[in-house]
Amino acid sequence: MNMADVMLIEDIRMHYQVRTGIFKTIPLRAVDGVTLAVPPGQTLGLVGESGSGKTSLGKLTLRLMEPTAGHLYFKGKEITHVPEGRLKWFRREAQMIFQDPFASLDPFMTVDQIVEEPLIIHRIQGRESKVHRALEAVRLTPVEEFINKYPHMLSGGQRQRVAIARTLILNPSYIVADEPVSMIDASSRVSVLQILSRLQKEYNLAFIYITHDVATARYFSDRLAVMYLGKIVEMAAADELISTPLHPYTAALIAAVPDPDPTNRLTKRRVIPGEPPSPINPPPGCRFHPRCPYAAKICRDEEPPLREVEPGRYAACHFSEKLQDDLLTLAHGHVDASSGRSAQPPTGASPKP
Amino acid sequence: MPTRTQEALQEFWATKVAKVGVVFLVTLILISVFVLVFYPLNFGEELWNNPIVWADNPKAVGPSWTQAFSSQAQAEHLIFELPEPVESDFSQGFKRQLFQVSFLFEADDFPQFTSFTMRDVQFQEDPPFVTLILHRPDGEAIILLDVDIPYPEPEDSPPYVFYSEDPRRIYLSGSPAVRLAVATFARRQLNMEVLVSDIAAVGPEKFMFGVPSSQGGRATDVLKGEYTLSVLVEGVHADDAMGSARFVVAGQLFGLMGTDNLGRDLAVGLLFGFPVALFIGVVTSTLTAGVGGILGVISGYKGGKVDMVIQRTVDILNNVPLLPILIFLLFIVGSSLWNIVILLVVFGWTSLTIIVRSMVLQIRDGEFIQASVALGAGTRRIIFRHILPQVAPFILAQLIFFTPSAILAEAALSFLGLGDPSIPTWGQILDRGFSDGALYLGYWWWIIPPGILIVIAAVTFVLIALGFEPVINPRLRRRR
Amino acid sequence: MSDVSLYYETLRGPVQAVDSVNLEVPKGEAVGVVGESGCGKTSTSICIMRLLPDNIHTFTGRILFDGRELMDMTDSEIRSQIRWREVSMVFQGAMNSLNPVIRVGEQIVEPLRVLDKVQKDEARERGVARMRQTGLPAEAYRMYPHELSGGMKQRVIIAMALIMSPKLVILDEPTSALDVSVQAQIMNLLKDLKREEDLSMLFISHDIALTSDLCDRFAVMYAGRVVETGEAEQVLQDPQHPYTEKLLASVPRLRSDVTPEFIPGAPPDLVNPPPGCRFHPRCPYVMDICSKREPEMFPTGDGQYAHCWLRGDEHG
Ligand SMILES: Nc1ncnc2c1ncn2[C@@H]1O[C@H](COP(=O)(O)OP(=O)(O)OP(=O)(O)O)[C@@H](O)[C@H]1O
Ligand SMILES: Nc1ncnc2c1ncn2[C@@H]1O[C@H](COP(=O)(O)OP(=O)(O)OP(=O)(O)O)[C@@H](O)[C@H]1O
Ligand code: SF4
Ligand SMILES: [Mg+2]
Ligand SMILES: [Mg+2]
Repeated sequence: MNMADVMLIEDIRMHYQVRTGIFKTIPLRAVDGVTLAVPPGQTLGLVGESGSGKTSLGKLTLRLMEPTAGHLYFKGKEITHVPEGRLKWFRREAQMIFQDPFASLDPFMTVDQIVEEPLIIHRIQGRESKVHRALEAVRLTPVEEFINKYPHMLSGGQRQRVAIARTLILNPSYIVADEPVSMIDASSRVSVLQILSRLQKEYNLAFIYITHDVATARYFSDRLAVMYLGKIVEMAAADELISTPLHPYTAALIAAVPDPDPTNRLTKRRVIPGEPPSPINPPPGCRFHPRCPYAAKICRDEEPPLREVEPGRYAACHFSEKLQDDLLTLAHGHVDASSGRSAQPPTGASPKP
Repeated sequence: MPTRTQEALQEFWATKVAKVGVVFLVTLILISVFVLVFYPLNFGEELWNNPIVWADNPKAVGPSWTQAFSSQAQAEHLIFELPEPVESDFSQGFKRQLFQVSFLFEADDFPQFTSFTMRDVQFQEDPPFVTLILHRPDGEAIILLDVDIPYPEPEDSPPYVFYSEDPRRIYLSGSPAVRLAVATFARRQLNMEVLVSDIAAVGPEKFMFGVPSSQGGRATDVLKGEYTLSVLVEGVHADDAMGSARFVVAGQLFGLMGTDNLGRDLAVGLLFGFPVALFIGVVTSTLTAGVGGILGVISGYKGGKVDMVIQRTVDILNNVPLLPILIFLLFIVGSSLWNIVILLVVFGWTSLTIIVRSMVLQIRDGEFIQASVALGAGTRRIIFRHILPQVAPFILAQLIFFTPSAILAEAALSFLGLGDPSIPTWGQILDRGFSDGALYLGYWWWIIPPGILIVIAAVTFVLIALGFEPVINPRLRRRR
Repeated sequence: MSDVSLYYETLRGPVQAVDSVNLEVPKGEAVGVVGESGCGKTSTSICIMRLLPDNIHTFTGRILFDGRELMDMTDSEIRSQIRWREVSMVFQGAMNSLNPVIRVGEQIVEPLRVLDKVQKDEARERGVARMRQTGLPAEAYRMYPHELSGGMKQRVIIAMALIMSPKLVILDEPTSALDVSVQAQIMNLLKDLKREEDLSMLFISHDIALTSDLCDRFAVMYAGRVVETGEAEQVLQDPQHPYTEKLLASVPRLRSDVTPEFIPGAPPDLVNPPPGCRFHPRCPYVMDICSKREPEMFPTGDGQYAHCWLRGDEHG
């Protein structure tokens, strides 16, 4: 592994203890052996359905939880079990943007107080000018108009930009963005993501971008990792992963997402049946096999490792090579509702004024 | 949070109950301030529980304003101070002082009692003679009493001064000498077959202020008209004298709120109850909210062992039978006001702790707390900067909610005879009324006003709390 | 619906949540209402159901359903003749408001039992049939909500909406709390139902891509007004209103390399909406007239209309 990586995650596991009786607890394997590297200045997109362990993984890398097993290295230094008291330097460098911009801002503080808080915590001088610069960086201008407002006076997009300004003010090198745009309006989503991209280039930030929205993930990430039941099932450069998925789950995930297109309604979407099983009792073998249309006996017996199927492309499926063509049609073809015939959709129409 | 506080206050003020509550509260506070300024702090011990202070008041009589609702003219309570003699001379080796007061007595009923008090009796050798004479409208006069003043002790030296520190009060209605004098008067001048024992039974006033009734027998009717009391002081030295005197013709009505059976002016006691009720309510609820809030925050935020201990304590306190324990403990520690307050706090904080704890649990898991942790914020900062501001308004509202229950609880304890005897409270006045049978004797003025005041004080805070309800409870909050 | 307005009374003044809205749902077709959060989509649909909150300031217009004027009917007529029976609704977040202590089957057939006084056994039969149709196993009839997954709960809600065989179903964000794969399952179910039952649907969503998966016609709402209507092909491929155009351009696409753009500014406050065209402060083509006079719904061909001065002049 490359020591230049900002964040290196090695076989990390997070097993929550879930109470089932008065005395009995059983482990819930939210994150179950994930190895990832986040290079500087790049975005790693983490996609997957609800409950697949994305948030848990993101929080683990920020040491907001104590991992059950595995190692975390930040800029080459191990931070896995370092006590909170000796993590201050790390807290300056690593930040998190939360999903719900209303919940992640203290409703009783003004924008000014919110953005300033990290500086107070880390005893940094020259706060006023820094707050101004941070708010300008996220385009909350004129700054004077915003600094005395409370979160409830702002729109979702503005709130999220305040949250971003707060994380930026310490000049971090690593940010976990947990669904930063899923709670805000479609029209301001893009603006928030554009601000993040611009800042990433400016400050050479490394991002983990957590989302269940494959479309924004493709747009915002350099690399994508697909998570299913606590494990990474596929990882590759974003465009490649979307255009030619190598894992049936990835293909199904892509198939489920429509682009705005009037022909959509004429066909039925090919969907994987059922819903993800509980991480308390993950299925043996390949965790996806109960829902996988290609599952064979080996899938039930043997867990496929995450392996390099093609250069730079990792997938955890026994049949990645054989299924390539099928997966392509599954992901991007439609099945005609009446005939079951597969059809390629026309490319999205570009609107004209 | 200037805007939020303002918004909250506006929302609060928008409710009608809040306005009524605030008006009540301001009244309560103004009265309390008045009392604190004009009453001595040891009012309870020095005045309220000192029977001498109230001796000259009529016992267990209703308020004067009830006269308006009565067909009979009730006897007014008459107190006459005789500050100096109307005549005073020294001639031929005799010193003579005359104190005198005339008054109209027009009531349909006899005075409850009469009493005479003298001060600063001073003499050189032998004590002076003091004679009380009552002149009646019918021209008759009764020599009520020759006060006998004791001889000085051999070790004292002249001039001898008596009754200056504590004046000598003679309860004329109970004085055997007066009874004898009145009985004699009745037999001789009124031609009635009256024995001293009869007078002891019905009181001498029946004859001092009466004429034989048309019904015959020993019944009398009130003789209306102008009476005069003369007090004659006779000595042998030039400066033998009596300083001043007081004559009381006790009525059947007294003051604004009447009196209890010790003659205590209920208006005075009830007024003193205002600051005490406020004190009990506000101090108890503040302490309760403080303890409950702090423990709730600690319990919710720290979790683990601390949380366990606090929660078990809450369970225990919640499950003991409150009243018996309170009574038992007050017996042991003694019922001072502070002990009552402390016990109410000890048994009162639990409900708030449970709620605050669950609020804190929720806030603690909120993203903005995690965001602070991710920024490296320590425990202190998180509790004081992020958690407290969120639970504070709720704790404040609970504080207001606790106030009426504290007032009612103190009243209940007093009613059970567990009040602090040195400080009169509405509950105690009520309790005395009940235990002295005011209910059966129909002394409503002794029972209803303290009851009403307890309810009003409690309702005041309930109204204010209700006004805060929509501010605190987001489900009731109108949409922005 | 023609010229329907619904204003809410608030402390700050009336909120013009629905302002002169015209909307038509042809028989057997699905109409998608799209627009940003708070633009009045839910408010429009509750006008049809007459499920209004207490703080109504104004409620005017005409709502014609199957030849009957709903605005002339009393509340009790609506309740007994229209609601559930003719028009049913799947509410935003309804799957989280199932009663946790009543078996889902009984919740599904409740309208039958209450409105038609259907006997328990018959109701059960019809309930199970509807559940099969929505892809639920018969056993689920006797289960409690907490025993079901999110997708199954949403199916329960849909079965409940269909139990009285209504002609029109209003679906308010029926999939927004679900995962993409489950969302796709539900969309497929809706497509099947629309075809099999010849249902009319009013599909409400802020997600224009998702809406295109089901709807034949679109109505784009902005700040309490419908700004564009038309066939799916027309609206998606040839949008006539700048807001629709910008909205489409802001959607990140999975299958093409168009970089999404954002719409500068924020939706207006509906207590004090901008004068004239409500989109004019954010519109890239804004002209003088836009801030002065309100545009009409100008026809732009083949049943497509746009509420924009670019598409017509003062004389239509
Ligand atoms: N504190 C916790 N205690 C017990 N279980 C937890 C805890 N936090 C998360 N889980 C469980 O761990 C699993 C993974 O949760 P996580 O929040 O990481 O998923 P996610 O991929 O972020 O999902 P979403 O898209 O819904 O945010 C879930 O099954 C969840 O119920
Ligand atoms: N009962 C109410 N009282 C006052 N204002 C209301 C009420 N209900 C809704 N509003 C306001 O009316 C406007 C339209 O609300 P509506 O719920 O119809 O929007 P929506 O398009 O369904 O939004 P969303 O996508 O968030 O569900 C919003 O500004 C909202 O705040
Ligand atoms: S390993 Fe088997 S079950 Fe798993 S995804 Fe591949 S084909 Fe499907
Ligand atoms: Mg998550
Ligand atoms: Mg809505």
